[in-house]
Amino acid sequence: MAGINEVNRNESKMVVPLNTWVLISNFKLAYNLLRRPDGTFNRHLAEFLDRKVPANATPVDGVFSFDVFINRSTSLLSRIYRPAHGEEPQINIADLEKPVTAEVVPVIIFFHGGSFAHSSANSTIYDTLCRRLVGICKAVVVSVNYRRAPENRYPCAYDDGWAALNWVNSRTWLQSKDSKVHIYLAGDSSGGNIVHHVALQAVESNIEVLGNILLNPMFGGEERTESEKRFDGKYFVTIRDRDWYWRAFLPEGEDRDHPACNPFGPKGKILEGIKFPKSLVVVAGLDLIQDWQLDYVKGLEKAGQKVKLLYLEKATIGFYLLPNNNHFYTVMDEISAFVDSNC
Amino acid sequence: MNKRNHQDTSGGADYGGLPGNLGKSDSSSMPSGKAKMWEEERDAGTGVDDELLAVLGYKVKSSEMEDVADKLEQLGMFMDAAPNIFCDTVHYNPSDLYGWVQSMLSELNNPPNTILDPMLQGQQIDDPLLAPAEFSSVPTLGFLNSHKQRQIDTTYSSRIYNDDSEYDLRAIPGSAAYPQTQDRESNRKRLKTSSRSNSAPPLLPSSPQPAGDAAAGTVSEPSRPIVLADSQETGVRLVHTLMACAEAVQQENLKLADALVKQVGLLAASQAGAMKKVATYFAQALGSRIYRIYPQDCLDASYSDMLQMHFYETCPYLKFAHFTANQAILEAFATASRVHVIDFGLKQGMQWPALIQALALKPGGPPAFRLTGIGPPQPDNKDALQQVGCKLAELAERIGVEFQFRGFVTNSLADIDPSMLDILPPEEEAVAVNSVFELHPLLARPGAIDKVLSSIKAMKPKIVAVVEQEANHNGPVFMDRFTEALHYYSSLFDSLEGSALVPPTQDLMFSEEYLGRQICNVVASEGTDRVERHETLTQWRTRMGSSGFEPVHLGSNAFKQASMLLALFAGGDGYRVDENNGCLMLGWHTRPLIATSAWQLIATDSS
Repeated sequence: MAGINEVNRNESKMVVPLNTWVLISNFKLAYNLLRRPDGTFNRHLAEFLDRKVPANATPVDGVFSFDVFINRSTSLLSRIYRPAHGEEPQINIADLEKPVTAEVVPVIIFFHGGSFAHSSANSTIYDTLCRRLVGICKAVVVSVNYRRAPENRYPCAYDDGWAALNWVNSRTWLQSKDSKVHIYLAGDSSGGNIVHHVALQAVESNIEVLGNILLNPMFGGEERTESEKRFDGKYFVTIRDRDWYWRAFLPEGEDRDHPACNPFGPKGKILEGIKFPKSLVVVAGLDLIQDWQLDYVKGLEKAGQKVKLLYLEKATIGFYLLPNNNHFYTVMDEISAFVDSNC
Repeated sequence: MNKRNHQDTSGGADYGGLPGNLGKSDSSSMPSGKAKMWEEERDAGTGVDDELLAVLGYKVKSSEMEDVADKLEQLGMFMDAAPNIFCDTVHYNPSDLYGWVQSMLSELNNPPNTILDPMLQGQQIDDPLLAPAEFSSVPTLGFLNSHKQRQIDTTYSSRIYNDDSEYDLRAIPGSAAYPQTQDRESNRKRLKTSSRSNSAPPLLPSSPQPAGDAAAGTVSEPSRPIVLADSQETGVRLVHTLMACAEAVQQENLKLADALVKQVGLLAASQAGAMKKVATYFAQALGSRIYRIYPQDCLDASYSDMLQMHFYETCPYLKFAHFTANQAILEAFATASRVHVIDFGLKQGMQWPALIQALALKPGGPPAFRLTGIGPPQPDNKDALQQVGCKLAELAERIGVEFQFRGFVTNSLADIDPSMLDILPPEEEAVAVNSVFELHPLLARPGAIDKVLSSIKAMKPKIVAVVEQEANHNGPVFMDRFTEALHYYSSLFDSLEGSALVPPTQDLMFSEEYLGRQICNVVASEGTDRVERHETLTQWRTRMGSSGFEPVHLGSNAFKQASMLLALFAGGDGYRVDENNGCLMLGWHTRPLIATSAWQLIATDSS
């Protein structure tokens, strides 16, 4: 088997810059160390290995951040990122939650990836990504530190997302001039999955979400799709690890056709006729779960929902973590246009 | 073995392509403008860290990128073949990718029985705290230091360490084996039973923490981590007023400052919990500064020791400090038969019972242990140091560790000359210098810190363990110090609130007073009186580095045990351990509050 794996490694090295390959391979190696066959997770080692960064009320490249408790009793934290308007070298504590001043300010609620088990809102890779989003969308970004599997299974992550949505929606300081908070949901990998489910809950509760941004969203199902078989082990990801994460997140005894995993599967909700937000779905052409992601897009289309698919043929997972490839810039431009269009 | 097939789309066996692969098989993914930049980087091949990875917290030299990639590849193959192969590995400094992969590969090259020993693989520990097969064979003291590739008889050590509880959390409350008064014993293992106060008001902007610490050392401005609890109108106004008052003090507008201090008092009265206490202490401190009534509290060392004891019991900061410092010391003492610890601030000696116990359990028997304890003069000329030394001697005797104690009374560490300490040569005795919150006071007197660091070097220590507050309370501008301190102590008080019992205990009140005195010192004192001159890890790193020390990294074993310690004792899920370039930090939620680092002398060519 070693021979085939070598070939696989060489394939992945040919499609990404070397430093990207190193970054993602490093994650792959680290994550392999953390997942145990019995379904438990080496959380201590995970926290040790994860690179994190504190919030910073001193603006850096025009963005400052601070952490807030969305819910004190469950220790649900979010990191808020705001554009600095150039004047002061330091943001006064009293001004952290100063009302936004522009006519329209998009507020992007961001859910980091990590297959429901890894990373945090203060992981450096996501802190960096959120800072970028502030710049390109002229938005306030709220990155939610949701509870992770396997310690906290479905529906914890969704509940935390829902709590964050309510919190954001009720902040007067985040309201645009029309006295409404202009909310977008965004996330990568498991974060993309959370976006869908939180949006669904928002619709059911009449909270308006202006748009969903799903970057390489994590979906799946019992069936083994073509892309899973074709790309298994080739570009950093294996079917086996995907299975592990679903087993860790889904309720015990449930299979991958659970609607959390497979929203348009046999147990999924009907989305026809409801006012679901418009969606931007980014699919990497070398992502093994792309068939599920494409099914998701088709599902939205069939339900008459507005969706734009951005299919990046030669992209692998994690391409948006480093600004060293065209896909990165393409996606940032699309996100910017998406958030801007009907603001 | 090197199958560097980056460039060759034909898939043939073309090894050794160009360094610094750009994945040319699909040029559409690489914008041409950027390709030029990468080519330049590749050609430079200097010892420059890859910028993009640095931003994400990983330091990899561009010239080493290929090598790191190869090693990742190799490790991936090994793991595919034997998935459990690294389950006992102790990891160090994940930011240094090259070092990380290299140490794992080196471990594979160790004698086979370290990995394949059936005893090591088969062990399971039945402990509700530990996940299966977690602690089985790695001696938690880190005797398997993969960096140094020591030849350790792990078969033997696994027999001793199959229950790692010997040196771990249970060993930490030294008072267990170290007789203290009754009430301390009963308060020791306190699990959280109370709910948190929901009126927790906004926590405040904090002290600088270098933003890019894990990045390529580019720390241009201080960074301020802030955690806001709950935005309340009065809380924000309170902070605003405190800041305005401090501003007035800085501008010597004492009339305005006086009015504002009174206003703070009124606003604070309507607060509750941590915010109220913090505001009150800061208001008092500002009052002292305005009226120039500087507190005269530093005189009674035994009183402040008592306060610190209560602080020790109430929250995990000191326990974490002792635990992590001990971890570093133990790893450094792994092969020594005689050891000498010089403790810069003995106080009640709470750190040492755990170390003595751990030494007692060393495979092959404990080394001879010498402790030199330094402390300030006591009122009534009591020999407090000697009393502590005696208690430790009793413990050591009970558990069979050869022990010697010597106390040194001094007003300042700068007055200690290494020749007074009977330091033996490194071949005969391994020396550890231990400083828990003892370095920052030296910054109050010019030249003192440099003198002490020179003295430390002259002691030729195997390891120097340093614990300091993670804050910059030593900036030249009063307002900055004030703001930083306001944030820092808000987080600290909030954590006390979060983990304390209700109703408040004696411990809690004394702990608050302990912190309150620090606040007073930071805000109201100046010159040589102002001793709470806390500085950040980044600042200490610079200082230690330029004084001739290099870091010794604390690993994943220490991290894990520290994390478990917190869960046991703190009873709150707000405490977090963070790894930062080989150092460990303890924080409250996302705000780091204390940092433990370890150092050794930079090896010179002659050694």
